[in-house]
Amino acid sequence: MSAPVVETHSLAKTYGLALVLRDVDLRLLSGAGAFVIGGNGAGKSTLLRILAGLEAPSGGHAFVFGQDTRKLAARYRLRIGVMAHQSFLYPNLTARENLEFFGELYSLAEPRASADRWLSRIGLADVADARVRTFSRGMEQRLSAARAMLAEPALLLLDEPFASLDHDGAEIIASLIRGAIERGAAVIATAHAVPEIEGVEFAVYEIARGLLAEPAPKEEVRRGGRIRSLLGR
Amino acid sequence: MSGFAAVLRKDLRLELRSGESTLALLALSMLVLVVLVFALDAARVRSVDVAAGALWVAMVFAGMLGANRALLAERDNGAIRGLLLSPLDPGTLFAAKLAAALIFMAVAEVGAVILMVLFFNLEFDQSIARLAPILALGAIGFSALATLLSAITGRTRGGDMLLPILAVPIFVPALIAGVKASAAALAGAPLSSMGDWLKIMVAFDVLFVTAGYLLFEHVVGED
Repeated sequence: MSAPVVETHSLAKTYGLALVLRDVDLRLLSGAGAFVIGGNGAGKSTLLRILAGLEAPSGGHAFVFGQDTRKLAARYRLRIGVMAHQSFLYPNLTARENLEFFGELYSLAEPRASADRWLSRIGLADVADARVRTFSRGMEQRLSAARAMLAEPALLLLDEPFASLDHDGAEIIASLIRGAIERGAAVIATAHAVPEIEGVEFAVYEIARGLLAEPAPKEEVRRGGRIRSLLGR
Repeated sequence: MSGFAAVLRKDLRLELRSGESTLALLALSMLVLVVLVFALDAARVRSVDVAAGALWVAMVFAGMLGANRALLAERDNGAIRGLLLSPLDPGTLFAAKLAAALIFMAVAEVGAVILMVLFFNLEFDQSIARLAPILALGAIGFSALATLLSAITGRTRGGDMLLPILAVPIFVPALIAGVKASAAALAGAPLSSMGDWLKIMVAFDVLFVTAGYLLFEHVVGED
């Protein structure tokens, strides 16, 4: 049995007196997808930030590729792709320049060719030389997804990847997630509601007030049954 | 090395596209020199002393602006997080930001030296050439200090105000050494006669380049 890509034990996070995550246990293998579903302030983004190594947990442990996320060496960061609320893109660079720049940071063999390939995949090839500051929120979101997936990471952490997207944009992101899982990447994404992604199985976890419920069937999560019982309501 | 080159190239590309930093640095340098040339009576003080002082005041202002600008681009869209999540070593990121700040500062310094020579009726001769290593040492030290501090102050409210409050007092030893060495160079003294001043500047450079390289990871990261 392969080692888990992501593993957390009793993970907790506090900001001052606010308890944002508590006792989170999560385990994910290569080629598996998981959606963490919850409302605003439920702890979704904090969980992803800890897994990405951007924040240290206040309690418990988080491991990615068997490494403690508090000290993720460059060779492990190389294998993680993160898409967050902020796009991490430079508004005064063009779409191609942005992807090319990140391609160089991730030591891709042909950053420019990779950038062009991804621009085609996300349907932005015709605006490759336009500056990102001229993009709509949805276009920026697609480019941000391409930036996260550019180096074909073994772990993808996607924070609300479908937010601000129209139907076509959501289809593109869904196909990218499907493609990542099919090539063996582990994917953890967050959303407010269970998304529809055809052709791929993923576990659905509900999160509320920092508590993560056991994975449940999509229908049950849509009714909010599992998290209600966990919260004692 | 590829990460260093990529970040530096990106910063220079952004600067060439907007020109904001370089124009602001040159305008600021010119303003400082113009104010000082009219404020100080050249008949009562040696013009080389005034010129050296004016040049370093312009340089300090330019350095603060340059370092601030080099990190400002990373605050848009949370781009700094994208860099921290990448395999790029934070020390390398510091080195690239320092190099960008140095280039902006060097451009401003060239402009400031030309203006200084014109405003203070100096000659374009050997003494100006002797200024080059002194200004280079000053620029390296101040850029390193300002880059390190702007990574801290950029995360705070009113950080732009905080940077000079923190940077200038720390820079004072190197500033005094730089002004004294520059005045001596403009007066025609050879570099060998300014050994003590240059040693202070070299020590300052080594201290803050090393500190920046080692500490950048801790000051630029998340809260």
